[in-house]
Amino acid sequence: MSASPVAFGAPKSPADRKRRPARSPATRRPHPALARLALLVAGAGLGATLAVTITSQPASQLSARGGALTYAGSLAGMIGTYLALIMVLLVSRIPFVERVAGQDGLLRLHRAIAPWPISLLAAHALFLTLGYAEAARTGVWHEAGVLLTRYPDMLTATIGLALMCLIGIISVRAVRRRLRRETWWLIHLWMYLALAISFAHVIVLGPAFVGHPLTQAVWSVAWAATAGLVLCYRFGLPVVRSLRHRLTVTEVRREGPGVVSVICSGRRLDRLAVSGGQFFCWRFLSRGLWWQSHPYSLSALPQPPYLRLTVKAVGDHSSALASIRPGTKIAIEGPYGAFTRYAQRRPRALLVAAGIGVTALRALLEDLPRGSAPVVLLRASQPADLVLSTEVRELVKHRRGTIHELVGSREEAAINEVSLPRLVPDLAHRDVYVCGPEGFVASVVDTARNLGIPDEAIHHEAFAL
Amino acid sequence: MKRAPWLVAAGAVAGFLGVLGLHKTAAPGALASGGIQPASQSSQAGQPTHASPRGQTPAGGTRATPTAAAPAAGATVTSVGALERYGYGELAARVSISGGRITAITVPVLRTAEQYSQQLAAQVLPTLRSEVLAAQSARISAVSGATYTSQAYALSVQAALDKAHFR
Repeated sequence: MSASPVAFGAPKSPADRKRRPARSPATRRPHPALARLALLVAGAGLGATLAVTITSQPASQLSARGGALTYAGSLAGMIGTYLALIMVLLVSRIPFVERVAGQDGLLRLHRAIAPWPISLLAAHALFLTLGYAEAARTGVWHEAGVLLTRYPDMLTATIGLALMCLIGIISVRAVRRRLRRETWWLIHLWMYLALAISFAHVIVLGPAFVGHPLTQAVWSVAWAATAGLVLCYRFGLPVVRSLRHRLTVTEVRREGPGVVSVICSGRRLDRLAVSGGQFFCWRFLSRGLWWQSHPYSLSALPQPPYLRLTVKAVGDHSSALASIRPGTKIAIEGPYGAFTRYAQRRPRALLVAAGIGVTALRALLEDLPRGSAPVVLLRASQPADLVLSTEVRELVKHRRGTIHELVGSREEAAINEVSLPRLVPDLAHRDVYVCGPEGFVASVVDTARNLGIPDEAIHHEAFAL
Repeated sequence: MKRAPWLVAAGAVAGFLGVLGLHKTAAPGALASGGIQPASQSSQAGQPTHASPRGQTPAGGTRATPTAAAPAAGATVTSVGALERYGYGELAARVSISGGRITAITVPVLRTAEQYSQQLAAQVLPTLRSEVLAAQSARISAVSGATYTSQAYALSVQAALDKAHFR
């Protein structure tokens, strides 16, 4: 194990030693104003969608036979489709949004909104079929047949809706737990296909669009731009970065029980901007692993030509990394995450990590300026689980900070409203960064809130097992 | 961001009002116009029960021929229903009542969003008219594929009947 936090343990050739340690450039500062503007625009889109729906369908329709159902069906379809657009945008990895909200926050929002578009679009299909059947005084199944066979683009739209419902069902917590993460993830990407094949029927049949060329144009441009952003940032940029940096595994090193560091080397890493605390999604191109991509934090700032990630064996993928061969090629997506020094709102920082959460904390600590006097709390159930603690101690010392290692059971080494102010007397002047398993993060965040720390000064990165 | 919900709400109000404003200024003249007055006495046999929804060519041979409203003898009351807007246009129906029976329905005003809706309306109006004549009321079945047109037609006919104090 290397004791030096600077050369984090990559193999040293004589040439390496002579070279001045290169640093990768800092990432761009987040601009919350841009994110606020994006929120305003998203809201405006929702209002505009509502307005074009209402103006295209007079209220008098409500009193016609089947009118209430068709009215509700149209409204549900328009709002549902708009929310689907927002959901796609939330995960399209737009850099300026990612920098402010972090992928963690964006995914939480994506998950929170998710049930709405799917149920609204299902309601849209149901209400319109019922409404049309009621108006025509025919059976629902007959009307469904008419809709499918005689309306243009309705067959593809119905297949799209069926796909969406399938994705909705497998995303329900109880079902999702029974699926492999990768299986779920791959199926859920079909949503792009579902949305694409449903697009046409909206423009061709929607009362808000028929005979309204401006609405058609704005709607089409919004969707085309969204598709462009997804192609650009979610698919294009990772491919370009992977090809540019050509990362390969250099060495795998044991750090503690079940914990390994993977040291990678690549080209032009001095051009890859990363902040401490950020993560990449790693795809190791070896047999059996190439098809899955997993998020792991960097456990140190890049030292071109090296990067390091440190992983604890908790699942199939993280366990497989212990035996990955040097020379294995790696594709990356990222860096992502707003768990960085830019998030800090108050003069000083308190960094709290449990278990393998220390990786992000270790890199973040390295990014804090000298003399920043951070307080670091490392929690583990046994001393051997305090991985990277030598490096952390070294970095804390360089920054004139304080470190507390809390080892023991949850009761013995608790972080709560009593122990935290005792360990960190100047808590009121510090931001709190928490990293670790979900339960731990939630409890520390609660504790910090209860101690009066405002939400904007609490930053967390949780990893699910 | 704590203010996020407020920003979204503010944006939504602005977007909603903005579109309403645009709609107010742009609305007149946006619809293609063309009055269609189907003949009142031609046989309704062979009328389609389904319209061909937009995108498909309407079935040939069912286009209504615009002719004058049927001349009614004796005490014929004519009543024009409200102009009903619907998803793809707007229409108004005129009902003639003679001897306590609905004897003719014409559509003096029909404006649609585009050409296709115009053809579709022309195709289904005779069917709707014969339904009203048969039922002697506005309680008719919509033509599949022309739900909105049928709904507007029924509403306008009902308005005309109400105006004429028909039953």
